Amino acid sequence: MRNTWLILKREYLQRVRTRSFLVLTLLLPGIMTALMVLPAKMATMGQKAQHIVLVTSNPQFGEKVRQQLLAAPVAEEEDEGSDRAGKRKPEDQDIIDVDANPTDSERAALRDKVSTRQIDAFLWLTDDAIAARDVTWNGRETADFRERSWLSESVGHIIQQRELSTKGLTDAQADELLKPVKVETVRIEGGRETKGSGTGRLLEIVVMVMLLYMAVLFYGISVMRSVLEEKTSRIIEVLLSSASSTELMAGKLLGVGAVGLTQILVWAIMAGVIAFPSLALQPDLGELQISPGVMAAFGLFFLLGYLLYSTMYATIGAITTTEQEGQQLQFLIIIPLVLSVFMLMPVIRTPDSAAVVWLSMVPFFAPILMYARIVVETPPLWQIALSLLLMIATVSGLVVLCARIYRIGVLIYGKRATLPEILKWLKYAKA
Amino acid sequence: MNFAQATAAPTSSSVISSNREDTVQLNNVRKCYDEFVAVADLNLSIKAGGIYGLLGPNGAGKTSTIRMIMGIIVPDAGQITVFGEPLIRAHMDRFGYLPEERGLYRKMKVLEHLVFLGQLKGLSGAEATKRAKSWCDRFDLTAWTDKKVGELSKGMQQKVQFIGAILHDPRLIIMDEPFTGLDPANAVVLKDVLLEMAKSGKTILLSTHRMDQVERLCQSICLINHGRAVLEGDLNQIKARYGRQNVQIKYDGDAGFLQETRLVQSFNDYGNYVEVQLAPGADSQELLRLASAKARLDKFELMEPSLEEIFIAVVGKTNA
Repeated sequence: MRNTWLILKREYLQRVRTRSFLVLTLLLPGIMTALMVLPAKMATMGQKAQHIVLVTSNPQFGEKVRQQLLAAPVAEEEDEGSDRAGKRKPEDQDIIDVDANPTDSERAALRDKVSTRQIDAFLWLTDDAIAARDVTWNGRETADFRERSWLSESVGHIIQQRELSTKGLTDAQADELLKPVKVETVRIEGGRETKGSGTGRLLEIVVMVMLLYMAVLFYGISVMRSVLEEKTSRIIEVLLSSASSTELMAGKLLGVGAVGLTQILVWAIMAGVIAFPSLALQPDLGELQISPGVMAAFGLFFLLGYLLYSTMYATIGAITTTEQEGQQLQFLIIIPLVLSVFMLMPVIRTPDSAAVVWLSMVPFFAPILMYARIVVETPPLWQIALSLLLMIATVSGLVVLCARIYRIGVLIYGKRATLPEILKWLKYAKA
Repeated sequence: MNFAQATAAPTSSSVISSNREDTVQLNNVRKCYDEFVAVADLNLSIKAGGIYGLLGPNGAGKTSTIRMIMGIIVPDAGQITVFGEPLIRAHMDRFGYLPEERGLYRKMKVLEHLVFLGQLKGLSGAEATKRAKSWCDRFDLTAWTDKKVGELSKGMQQKVQFIGAILHDPRLIIMDEPFTGLDPANAVVLKDVLLEMAKSGKTILLSTHRMDQVERLCQSICLINHGRAVLEGDLNQIKARYGRQNVQIKYDGDAGFLQETRLVQSFNDYGNYVEVQLAPGADSQELLRLASAKARLDKFELMEPSLEEIFIAVVGKTNA
């Protein structure tokens, strides 16, 4: 126990004190933020105020469309991701003119104005075009899908309103009739109701997948490298004369694991501090209420998954002699991870089908699949317990196996072991 | 197998009874890797206190033997007894080990590294620090304690590793080729430390193929070849049994006396002098008369056989 602790402490301190750890810990959130913010920024930058001309045969209709377009600038989707619209400042307001002269000469004149940048675009909205339900946007840049749906919804709304008013409805009545329907989802879990959209649930799963991937890729490799380093530097022999190989492996796994957790914790705190003010202003995220049960499951499945995959890396480190060889064998670890992601959709759709139940028990898939099931629809407790037990058993088994191979690693140099050789070593390493 | 039979110590075929005085005892220990027999029914007993030399050509099974004593590999058959008890993990804390394959964490600082090794052997952090500092002082490493191991020269790293092996004041110290890579000055410091420890009652197992070191340092030896002990026991007794059969001659002039096969079995010309092995039953005085008649003699000395000769003779015989 003491030895495991000493080894854990060494692994942890040696890594945390390096400059690269500091740089990665501080820089990565910056890079991530930049990666997330920049595209959004670029999108809004392209979205500066536009000068649009509506060409229509009926000035009254044109004015209504103008009002509608100004009232709802660029279509807003009802759910997440639409924080750009509505935030526009008054000076960013689009300028929209109505032109009641739908002639070919006017069309040519407008074209020139677009090319000479006097206006940004014009919308050909004559009665003919409306009758054909086919209006044309003429601009320097083709309208993106958001602009197109904005235009189509706004124009459509006014057309429907006009049609309805000819049937004797007032504009207010027509508006009432045309109000979109919003669907809200409420999940009942153990008698308690949680508000949450499917996207919110998906996000909880995606965060797990992302974190597990990152932790496994960054720190799994780190475990592998550390096992290899001890073999190549031959310090392994000195260590084995002081501690058992199981103590060494356990200490190493927990030590490197703790480094990863430290980094994630630092990031979580940074993210919390940076994001809290904007989160508080963001009513959408209220839907992301995470129940304590899911939080606990997240913690447990993340830790065990991380440990399991790191142990697999350690085993690869034990049977190889160079990092290149180790990286060639990495697919053994990546495949179960990728498979879990592939199976995610069926699992979310039918979380209690027999196939899903048993697949989510497989220790290599459980961190993602069983967790996904818990998020979507709490499975029976025995299934969760069984999957946790299976994972713990697999981790312990792998640690013992890996420790044995590691011990025999003293005897070999130079080349990667074949499977029969590994089996033979396990025989030498008995007791 | 003349030498083995001639020694007082039990030979490889006999079973050694348990003896309280022994620090380490191997009874019919065997280790095979597939077809290859690394150690075959090896028996040896290392008495408490003093320096015991484990000798043998490359691939004789020295490292395998040491690794089995260190519990790194497990024997296929036979028993290993230490301090009068069957070997268990807990004994390791009283062992100090300098493996032939040196290895340290290159990115760790010297003092930190030593403290880590000491703690693994059960020392408290404070005690390990105190001892590490005092040993570094003795080995002239004080200026380097805050440097990373990787920045040290190979010789210095070796000193660090040696300190790491003895920091916890072990009862049994196993050194695999401890002098390789050390300059003469540091080799002297190391030798002094080893002799000091031996005098204070520690048992040191010195594995090497450097005969001169064994000859100077060890009280007892075991010569192994092909995984078997071919010669084991007290060094002086072994030499005495071998007899004064060698003569060192420094001469000037006719070397014809060397061809006298009646007296000279073989000779080895070292340039400045020749070493002559007398034929069985030959009288050294007769050779002296013969040589002085033809050549001018600067030196004529009857010698103990060097361990090297014993080694070559024994290994040659068992190989044949």
